Amino acid sequence: MNCLHKLAGGASMALLLGGCASLSGDGGFGAAAGVSEQRTGLSASVAGRLPRNDDDARALAAVIDKKLGQPLAVDEAVHIALLNNRGLQASYWSLGIAEADLVQAGRLQNPVFDFKRSHGGGEVSIERTLTFNLLSLIMAPLAGRIEGRRYEQTKLLVSNEALKVAADTRRAWVEAVAANQSAEYAVQVEESAQASAELADRMRKAGNWSAMDVAREQAYHAQTVADVSAARKAAVAAREKLTRLMGLSGAQTAYKLPDHLPELPAAPQELGDIEQIAVNERLDIQAAKLDTAHTASTLGLTKTTRFINVLDLGVVSNSEGRTNARGYELSLEIPLFEWGSTRVARAEATYMQSVNLLAQAAINARSEARESYADYRASYELARHYRDHVVPLRKKLADETLLRYNGMLMSVFELLADAREQSAAVNGYIGALKDYWTAQANLEAALGGRLGDRQSTNKGVTP
Amino acid sequence: MTTRRSFLSGAALIGAGMVTKAGAASLPEAPVQSSAATAPPLVPPNGRPYNPVVTLNGWTLPWRMKDGVKEFHLVAEPVVRELAPGMTANLWGYNGQSPGPTIEVVEGDRVRIFVTNKLPEHTSVHWHGQLLPNGMDGITGLTQPGIQPGKTFVYEFVARHAGTFMYHPHADEMAQMAMGMMGFWITHPKDPKQHAVERDFVFLLSAYDIEPGSYTPKINTMLDFNLWTFNSRAFPGIDPMVVRKNDRVRIRAGNLTMTNHPIHLHGHTFEVTGTDGGWVRPSARWPEVTTDVAVGQMRAIEFVADAPGDWAFHCHKSHHTMNAMGHNVPTMIGVDHTGVAEKINKLVPGYMVMGDKGGSMGDMQMPLPENTLPMMSGDGPFGGLEMGGMFTTVKVREGLARDDYKDPGWYRHPKGTVAYEWTGEVPPAPRAPGVPPSKPTETMNVKRDAKHHH
Ligand SMILES: [Cu+2]
Repeated sequence: MNCLHKLAGGASMALLLGGCASLSGDGGFGAAAGVSEQRTGLSASVAGRLPRNDDDARALAAVIDKKLGQPLAVDEAVHIALLNNRGLQASYWSLGIAEADLVQAGRLQNPVFDFKRSHGGGEVSIERTLTFNLLSLIMAPLAGRIEGRRYEQTKLLVSNEALKVAADTRRAWVEAVAANQSAEYAVQVEESAQASAELADRMRKAGNWSAMDVAREQAYHAQTVADVSAARKAAVAAREKLTRLMGLSGAQTAYKLPDHLPELPAAPQELGDIEQIAVNERLDIQAAKLDTAHTASTLGLTKTTRFINVLDLGVVSNSEGRTNARGYELSLEIPLFEWGSTRVARAEATYMQSVNLLAQAAINARSEARESYADYRASYELARHYRDHVVPLRKKLADETLLRYNGMLMSVFELLADAREQSAAVNGYIGALKDYWTAQANLEAALGGRLGDRQSTNKGVTP
Repeated sequence: MTTRRSFLSGAALIGAGMVTKAGAASLPEAPVQSSAATAPPLVPPNGRPYNPVVTLNGWTLPWRMKDGVKEFHLVAEPVVRELAPGMTANLWGYNGQSPGPTIEVVEGDRVRIFVTNKLPEHTSVHWHGQLLPNGMDGITGLTQPGIQPGKTFVYEFVARHAGTFMYHPHADEMAQMAMGMMGFWITHPKDPKQHAVERDFVFLLSAYDIEPGSYTPKINTMLDFNLWTFNSRAFPGIDPMVVRKNDRVRIRAGNLTMTNHPIHLHGHTFEVTGTDGGWVRPSARWPEVTTDVAVGQMRAIEFVADAPGDWAFHCHKSHHTMNAMGHNVPTMIGVDHTGVAEKINKLVPGYMVMGDKGGSMGDMQMPLPENTLPMMSGDGPFGGLEMGGMFTTVKVREGLARDDYKDPGWYRHPKGTVAYEWTGEVPPAPRAPGVPPSKPTETMNVKRDAKHHH
């Protein structure tokens, strides 16, 4: 790294500084964005930096408007969220704050010129002081190291935030598209019920049906009208959630969504050691690990007596589960220290707290990986069952019902009732497909990145 | 599905093996019929002479004379019966068909009938109307043990009185008769000139409940059958009864369904000349055009076929001249479909409005479920016959040969003997009070449909 310190007086001063740090110019955004881009496969900015002014905003709007010009695919929605989610932008700026702290820590403290002007009793008094912190000159290397780790950790947490927004957006998109489809299904059912009710009314007018028969058909129709309203309400809520995640307002909220969810892929992803992947890849674990190291360093702990495997802690507390039986090796070791009598209890407590937080993070990550992978596979099977069995059988039933109507073996009311059953099966498939895509997003979130980036040959890698 | 051919050849093989095992010397052959067509009358090759009958869409069982005894061999077995072209049924019958072959004997004949059971459960044969020793009456449990699967029983008695009879199981009969176990029995008078007629047709009335798309009858149905048959055939699968003009014709029917059938002949009057009890004295007969054949009864009717033409002959219960139909379909007559039809069609592609002008489907040809028959079908020289079930024709023609039963085709009406359309001025028809005014198109349709209607 090129160390340029605008305010550092000379070469000797520069040598005193342990870490060399400078403002990156983008508030550390590039570094965090790099991680999230690698994980999501989508760029986090338009110009390689956060928008700061009207020109940036216009450029961003132009990019987003172009994406909104056609039905919004899920990756496009995620991309817009990464570019435009204001909560995420705020996180990026927190990275800027951390970077500023880091650079500040690595610098000689500026000489302070203090100018104080006060009014009182008609008098104006002016006070001027010039101070120069000599202590900071001595402490600068240590402070630089501490802030460096804090910055690294912030970078990971901010990247993780970006992944979270990506996952949330993915889920919200799936929800919104499925909700639209379901609302459409409700309309189909309503139309069928309406035809039944209308025909029932005509039957009554012709003298062929009783008031009770008509009321039964009309009551059913009325219920389906209510179902349409409920489905439309749900569709609006799902769409607005997606809109918020993408940070859209005004004319941009008129975006179009595709009519259907993507079809089920030919096969689900076969993943090997999902727990290993989660421990390797998840940024929250990496941040917790960094935090533990950071704590140790802050407390000046250098004398290691033994290492403990924090993942073993996890295994022990889960010994009744299936984890043991799977038997692959995981290790994430951190040092334990000899706490001398001279050490303060607070230091030990602080360190052990961070060790346990890391252990819990690892346990959570592994459990989430197992759960989401099992759910992903089961969701795939369920959606496939709907696609390959339930829907085709319903279609077959509809065909056979029509044949029986042709032969005057069944009535038009049975034909319409069956059309509704068929719609219900299709809606069941929509639900199962939605669950599958949601499960996929959950799995990606639990594993810390896109599934497509990874092959099943990731065994044997330990952190 | 087992094809009919393979099924029958399999059955024939099993029969042959069985014969060898039992000793071919003592057991007569069991002939098998593979066709549901009407077989020509079987002129007796030996024994006392008689005037043979014609079994409508059936056949007569050949016999063997052994030491002066007529020996028959019935094999009770599962069969595949064609109920009409386009529909087959998994039934139980005898010697390849359901109903089984007609047995014809002469008054005073000693008869020995071997019954081999190839069914999966025990059976027996009751000789309905015969006067015989109690132990030959064929009631399982009461007069004999059931004939177990694979076993052969022998019934032997003298056919004591001439008349019209039938045979059927008296073992698990609810299931076995619902599956088609039945056959006709004729005992001819010793004197062939007694009660002699030129043409003598026989058949049994039977009913089945076979869901469209399936093949096996629902044997637990009691009354709501959907296939009403003469000899397990439904119109248009029932052959016409072809007679020569001025022939004396006898038609004998037995009823093994669970309801009565008022059988109606057009164009002639007839007399009921026989029941299962014997011949009706001439002084006790009265003229009829319809006679009710009650459950478990036999009726013989006779008439002189003096009116040339194609005359309808059918059960007069209108649902019995229909094939499979939905009995719970609501009446759609007079229901205005304007606007609704398009909505339904959007939801159910292929949907067509039916029944709003009546039950007639006219010339509509629409795909049906597999293995069923249109509710009404059959074509006549003037259009759709709109018939099914227990319906056929008696075709009276001049100049046929004595043994000619071939379908002569449609009757050619002499000029001026067919109903015709009035083309002159028609005053507006008065309308019944309380009926909503109909649209002009409806009036037109009523007119067009009237041509087809009964
Ligand atoms: Cu009838």
